[in-house]
Amino acid sequence: MLGKVDPNTSAVRDFGFLRAIDYDRCIACGTCEAVCSFLNSGVTYIKLFEVSKGFSRPISCFHCRKAPCIHACPTGAMRKDDDGAVYIEESKCIGCLACLAACPFGIPSLSSVTKTAIKCDLCKDLRGHGLEPACYAMCPSEAILYGKAENVIELLQKRSLTKVIGLRYELSK
Amino acid sequence: MKFTFMCKKEMVQSAGPHGRGKVAIVGAGSAGLAAAGYLVCQGYEVDVYDKLPLPGGLMTFAIPAFRISIKSVMEGFEDLRDNFSVKFTLNTKVFKKDGVRHDEGDEFIKNVIDLKELVDSYDAVLITTGTWRSRKMNIAGEDSKGVYTALEYLFLLRSYSMGYSEHKPSKARKVIVVGGGLSAIDAAEESLLSGADEVYLVYRRTINEAPAGPFEINRLRRLGVRWMELALPKKIIADASGRVKEVELIRMRLGEPDSSGRPRPIPIEGSEFTLEADIVIVAIGELPTPPAQEEYLGIKLDRRGRILVNEKYRTGNEKVFAAGDVVSGPSKVGNAVFLGLNAAMNMHLYLTSKRLTQGSG
Repeated sequence: MLGKVDPNTSAVRDFGFLRAIDYDRCIACGTCEAVCSFLNSGVTYIKLFEVSKGFSRPISCFHCRKAPCIHACPTGAMRKDDDGAVYIEESKCIGCLACLAACPFGIPSLSSVTKTAIKCDLCKDLRGHGLEPACYAMCPSEAILYGKAENVIELLQKRSLTKVIGLRYELSK
Repeated sequence: MKFTFMCKKEMVQSAGPHGRGKVAIVGAGSAGLAAAGYLVCQGYEVDVYDKLPLPGGLMTFAIPAFRISIKSVMEGFEDLRDNFSVKFTLNTKVFKKDGVRHDEGDEFIKNVIDLKELVDSYDAVLITTGTWRSRKMNIAGEDSKGVYTALEYLFLLRSYSMGYSEHKPSKARKVIVVGGGLSAIDAAEESLLSGADEVYLVYRRTINEAPAGPFEINRLRRLGVRWMELALPKKIIADASGRVKEVELIRMRLGEPDSSGRPRPIPIEGSEFTLEADIVIVAIGELPTPPAQEEYLGIKLDRRGRILVNEKYRTGNEKVFAAGDVVSGPSKVGNAVFLGLNAAMNMHLYLTSKRLTQGSG
């Protein structure tokens, strides 16, 4: 089946990589948006929205483990790479935005140049050179996390624990 | 912050014995460091100058550590220095030599270099000197002991906590912070954390107009900060030793929208009242600090002191580019990073086309 991932790769067995945003740590400085936009000629795949007056936070593709966009795509353009990043193969995309209809978060959008769907691919080019997604690499508040899924989840849990009991036991960070 | 997020050391090709060229960056804040990362990835030799003892600018010396990770900024700096041979010249202010202006954060300066020297000896120069001067209220008693600007206060706390200053900011009992932006929020939160008994945050309009927004202000209120809107300090009253004792304020009401589009705050005659305070922190905005007071080497300023650049981030001097808050006025880290990266890219394009036309590529 088109777009289906091979269950035998180790990346799938250990849930691949995860990029998560710790919204408590985020200070809405916009660095993620700035580097993303710089790398993508003015288009940004991680975007800040003002949720209420004076309070903004970024949103980007969650790279779902069971990504509905991959199943909705009629041409097999929406794919998942070995690290677990959901990306679009431009040559196969017809710009129908079935992926957007399927996405629970309204992430995919359309390129005004190629008329194909566009979205975050966790900096596929950079990762191809052994580098990291730029939003993660440049976040000054350590709010954007990236790595092996189990490590990211553990770090988030540790941060939550510190928050919950930190004050009670007067622990320093 | 991995300022070299676009490359690995092994990927960088240097063209010829001297690489692609030599670039100086004045100001090691978010804009300057982002630009340095881009330029070393393109194969340039980059020297960075900064007046402070550590790079990072406001990220290191003003923005509270609970917002921005110093560790992350320092890792980014060390990566530039150790893996990409960026030369950092710290404690050094770059300015027009005759008539050096005193700005905030100048305490650690050991050397002054004339901007002209850099312009003469590098292929291109990027100015990212930020906003290191604070607006004053211009009221009586503002020069009393215990009156700080937000930048001064935060700088003092950060310098002390990082071991660069032995002068510990005195513990305050009652603090009044004046302003409604993020510097005011940070100053109020830091003074609360450093043990003040009572912290007032005073703003001349209402929570709805405050630039920091209701979320941040209400968060501080939950921490115990007292929010006082529609009030403006009229004068600061000092005791016999010249130390602030109390602040006279006047109540305000909102009038018709002014040039900023927000309702104009209008003083209510006869509504004066006083509040006790032993520290007053003025957080009503910062001003650009370009490396000359007025036009210099063709680099022009606008009437607010910001460096004028064209769409390619180039100043009036062909070799000199500028980016960050010194171009945009006070903004956020993301904006500074964005301007820094774009200026760096334009410097690369400029130097590449120059090399090609001179046939020495």
